Amino acid sequence: MGRTRTFDEDEVVRAAATLFGGRAYDGVSVDDLVTHLGVHRNSLYKTFGSKRGLYLVALRRHLAHDVRPLVDALGSAPDAASALRLITSADLGLLLLAAVERAPADTEVAAEVAAALDAVDQAVADALGVPADLAAALTSAALGILLRGNPHGVGTALAHRLDPLG
Amino acid sequence: MALVHIEGDDLVVVIEGLDKLWALKSSLTIPLGNVRGATADPGIAAEPKGIRAPGAHVPGVLTVGTFHLDGEKVFWDVKDPSKAVVVELADEHYARLVIQVDDPRATVALVENALIGKG
Repeated sequence: MGRTRTFDEDEVVRAAATLFGGRAYDGVSVDDLVTHLGVHRNSLYKTFGSKRGLYLVALRRHLAHDVRPLVDALGSAPDAASALRLITSADLGLLLLAAVERAPADTEVAAEVAAALDAVDQAVADALGVPADLAAALTSAALGILLRGNPHGVGTALAHRLDPLG
Repeated sequence: MALVHIEGDDLVVVIEGLDKLWALKSSLTIPLGNVRGATADPGIAAEPKGIRAPGAHVPGVLTVGTFHLDGEKVFWDVKDPSKAVVVELADEHYARLVIQVDDPRATVALVENALIGKG
C-alpha cells in the first residue's frame, strides 16, 4: 500500500521522451526526472521500476508518436526527393540517440531501434517500388543528413541523383 | 557498503562490515522475478527517508536499516550518496533497497542485464 498515483502517466512519459531526446540517457539523472516531470521519486520507482524502465516506455512512445506517423507519411511519398524530405524533417532525436548511446549496451533498446528503422526502410521500399537494400541506403543517407544538418545542401544533390528512382 | 551478485535466479545483496549490525541483516536474497530494476541515484539520499525501525540513522553520515515511508518498507545501507543504487522490488518484504555499492554503473548493468529476457 503506498501513495495513490496522482499523475498523468502519459504526460510524464511524453516529458521523459523529450528530456531523454534532448540530453541522452546518461545526461538525465533521477533528480532531473523528479524536477522536470513533477513526480515524486517513490512514484517514479513504483510506476516504472527504474530509470531504464521509464526510458524504454519513453522510447516506445517516441516510436509510436513520432516515428510511426513518419512511416505512414512515407507510404504515400511520390518520389525519392519527397521521402528524403520527410525523413530529414522528422523529429527523430530520441531514436538517433538511442541508436548511438543505448542500443550497443541494451539488447531491448537495440531491438526497438532495429524494428523502427526496418519499418522506415520497408515504407520507402513500398512507396518507391525499389528493392529493400536500396530503400535502406536511402534511409541511411537521410539519417546521415539529419545528423549532419544537411551540409552544402547535400539533400538536394542526392534527390537529383535519385529522382529517376521515383 | 553492499556487494551485489546474481546467484542462479536470485539477486543476492551482502551487507558488509559493521553495517550488518545496524541493519540486523548480513544478506538479502531476492528472486529475480521480484526485481523490477536498478538505478544509480545519488540524489535519493537527500529525500525524506521516513521512520527508522530498526536501524541507525545519523543524518549526513549513515543511513542503515529498515525505514517506513508512505506505508512502504525501504531497506537502506548508504554512507556515500554518490554511490547509491536503488533496486525496486515487487511482492517482497521491502518495496525497494537503497544500497551503496563500489561501482554503481556496473551494479546497475549487472542487475538490468539479468532481468532482460525475464519479462
